[in-house]
Amino acid sequence: MSSTSQKHKEFVAEPMGEKAVMALAGIGEVLGKRLEEKGFDKAYVVLGQFLVLKKDEDFFREWLKDTCGANAKQQFDCYSCLKEWCDSFL
Amino acid sequence: MAAAQLTDEELLAELNRLGCSPGPVTESTRPVYLKKLKKLREEQQKGSRTNKTRSGGAAGASAPGARPASRDVTRMSASGGRSSGGRLALNKEYLETASKPLLGFSSDESDAEVNQKGDLHSTSSRRRDRSSGQHHHHHYYYEQLRPAFPSNRNQRLDVSSDPNFDNLEGKKSREGSPFWLGKRKCTTDLLYSTEPLVNGEINEEDEREQRNGRGLSSSRFAYSCSKPQEEYSDSEEDRDEEDDMQKQHHPRSRRLSPRRSLTPSELSAHKSARGLENCQERTGGGVSAMRDKYPERSLDEVESIDWRGSAIGSIRESASRRPPYSERKADLSANVMLSSPTLDSNHVDLGSFSSFTKPRVSIYNSFTDATTTTTSSSCGNASVRTNHSNHTISNHVTCKVPQIKKLTEPEEELLQQFKGEEVSATSGVSAHYLSMFLLTAACLFFVLLGLLYLRMRGSGSVETAVAIKSHPFGSDFDRSYGDKEKSAILNILLHLHDHLAKIAGEHDCGDHLHRGSRNLTFKEASDFLSVQNISSEENLSAALEWIIKSGESAAGIRLIGRSQEEDVKVVSDIKYLESTHPNMSFICRFRRAFVVVINRMLLFVLGIGIVLCILWYMKYRWKKEAEETKQMYDMVGKIIDVLRSHHEACQENKDLQPYLPIPHVRDSLIKPQNRKKMKKVWDRAVHFLSTNESRMRTQTERIGGADFLVWKWIQPSLACDKIPSKVWQGKAFPLDKRNSPPNSLTPCLKIRNMFDPVMEVGETWDLAIHEAILEKCSDNDGIVHIAVDKNSREGCVYVKCLSAEHAGKAFKALHGSWFDGKLVTVKYLRLDRYHQRFPQALNCSTPLKPSDNFLNTVSHLRHRTSTINSVAKS
Repeated sequence: MSSTSQKHKEFVAEPMGEKAVMALAGIGEVLGKRLEEKGFDKAYVVLGQFLVLKKDEDFFREWLKDTCGANAKQQFDCYSCLKEWCDSFL
Repeated sequence: MAAAQLTDEELLAELNRLGCSPGPVTESTRPVYLKKLKKLREEQQKGSRTNKTRSGGAAGASAPGARPASRDVTRMSASGGRSSGGRLALNKEYLETASKPLLGFSSDESDAEVNQKGDLHSTSSRRRDRSSGQHHHHHYYYEQLRPAFPSNRNQRLDVSSDPNFDNLEGKKSREGSPFWLGKRKCTTDLLYSTEPLVNGEINEEDEREQRNGRGLSSSRFAYSCSKPQEEYSDSEEDRDEEDDMQKQHHPRSRRLSPRRSLTPSELSAHKSARGLENCQERTGGGVSAMRDKYPERSLDEVESIDWRGSAIGSIRESASRRPPYSERKADLSANVMLSSPTLDSNHVDLGSFSSFTKPRVSIYNSFTDATTTTTSSSCGNASVRTNHSNHTISNHVTCKVPQIKKLTEPEEELLQQFKGEEVSATSGVSAHYLSMFLLTAACLFFVLLGLLYLRMRGSGSVETAVAIKSHPFGSDFDRSYGDKEKSAILNILLHLHDHLAKIAGEHDCGDHLHRGSRNLTFKEASDFLSVQNISSEENLSAALEWIIKSGESAAGIRLIGRSQEEDVKVVSDIKYLESTHPNMSFICRFRRAFVVVINRMLLFVLGIGIVLCILWYMKYRWKKEAEETKQMYDMVGKIIDVLRSHHEACQENKDLQPYLPIPHVRDSLIKPQNRKKMKKVWDRAVHFLSTNESRMRTQTERIGGADFLVWKWIQPSLACDKIPSKVWQGKAFPLDKRNSPPNSLTPCLKIRNMFDPVMEVGETWDLAIHEAILEKCSDNDGIVHIAVDKNSREGCVYVKCLSAEHAGKAFKALHGSWFDGKLVTVKYLRLDRYHQRFPQALNCSTPLKPSDNFLNTVSHLRHRTSTINSVAKS
């Protein structure tokens, strides 16, 4: 059984469409607000950043940390969520 | 290479050169890439540089890392241009290097950052400021913009307390107290006249600070460390946003320094260490360059670096801060200088708590002391230490009280540890004493008991000696003799008894030299008595008669005739006299008693030992028994599994015999080396199965000409055991405009994730896929072509429909459904591409139908609520 959260599974199950950035696994209210303030108001914008960073784990995690101050677990959750989404839908 | 001056292309080129393959450098990716570049560069340099400082590798790493970076920075600052990204990258790098030797800071910090809203900005900007401060520091080292300092300093020094206080208060609410506190700590101040005022403030700030996270405060501290330089530096973009705060802080920090020095306890070791490290980085970079110019300074730095290793001491903080200030010693007032060297000396001390109060004491120290320490420190560490020790001694007295109150977190932890040890030690000691006491009490008790016992044994003679008045002969004796005779007779008896007891005692005690036997011949006894001059013949005979009459036990004398067995009836028969109560010396008695006690004890212990042995043996047997039973059940389980799987295999493959010979099963389950060992277990398992298992039957079969006992699985296979495969299992999500195109775009569909090419077995599974699709879209008459891409990793199936509308219906039916445990997704394909790929589909126009009407793959769903299906299909 995988150790992904419910949020992760929900996000990865379908195309993200116009989902808010808080729908990403690892991104809660606080981090979501911070991202929105920085301009990443939708999940697809974060996806865009993820793709611009060439889906590289280290870069993306670093960026996430700098942008909204996510801790290691949150970074990992977000990264794996996006990665899996990309694997399924991209 | 100046990091911040890199254009995007240069950054890309650098990163590519160093081996990464970065994506485009945009506004948001730039900082990340710059950081990476710094990291890579530092790793390169780390490998090539030697460790110049006395401290460990981290400092060495940071120092060299700082040097080229600082050079870069100075160039940057000199040029005046600075990008936020570059700064951020550098700062982050420093952060990372700084935090390496510290335990758990980064996580603390990040947690703290996450916890506090708005902290992020301040923290990150603080970091930037700190690093920039560092850089400025170097900058100033290199470029010697000293004139700038004094003016600013003066400005800082002149600030009065009250307005700053108000500012502080106001700022506090804005920034959060820890930030402010950190600022406070950062600086040393000359205004110790404000001490009393400050003290009141300190306490609440202390608490507040301690309440906050360590990481937070350390970051604050770091920020505050660099703060002083902020003003001098060229503007950073962060400074703009915090410019006013800085201005506030500077005077504040200056003023607050006495506070800080007074309450070193506020500062946790972490903070101090962190600040120290940061400052060390700053200073380390400039160490070699500065050595010539600022010998004292470099020593301070070296000391501070050296000292970095220890975890305790708030002084470090101040000490670390020292470098920027001490550097301008000439310009600064003596007070500042005073506090700095003493603080330095303080932190050279082994982090004793006394060092806490050193700053306070130092403030009261004379300037000369400070200068002497400073000068002495320039001579060398050893001399510095001695000087410090002098200070230590003088400071100890004053330091006692504050020590107890002000303990920073790590010290508190340590203290608690020690306290715990002490408590346990004392409790251990008391427990030890208690046990000793109990032991001695028990020993004494037993000794007393032994003594009592001995006394009772050996005091038989005492009783008789008490009074001759009381005698054991009864009233007859009294009647038949007169008083004088009575007393004479009794006297005789007494003496005889004593003598005999002595003899017997000597004999019993092993003194065989003097006494060959326990008894005394009659003649000897009479001789003895005559020697004693206490009896006459008749009295003796009378006495003996009475003894005979009343029995041996009465007088304590046994009369023995010629042989041991003979009863003595007449006085003349008496040959030997023997005492029944031998009078043994004390030592002898004790020894005998001791021996007896020991023997008894040994017997007792032996008895207990035997009982324990029996118990142990029984436990052992039980354990063995349980283990064997467990093994047996394991074996039984394995056998059942084997048989069941064999049965299932037989179901599919009719060539196999439905039974399994028992020896074959055994040999397949047990490895050859274990067979002998497990024989017992196996036999028990077989027996168990034959009696308790109803799904297997034991029978005899002839296999290959030999008769074997075989097992036959006779349970019919259950229908519900089979996991359904290749069936539709429901919808994962409802299709709405969010996850499906609003209208059907093309008549061609690509269906993904319907199978896994690696897992498929058999030749006809693709037909099963066809069937499944057709059955799922059974209401849709428009599917004209289905192609299963057997080699696709994603399990792709291509479907062409009569029209886009039909494709849309199929899309709705298929997209998001579960098939064979996999989530199916559908997307539209362009018609021309489809035809390119599948030219045979060009001409297809007849709708395909499922091969039978049983609709096996959707049978599940039909049993479930049909409404769902209808909704899905609509």
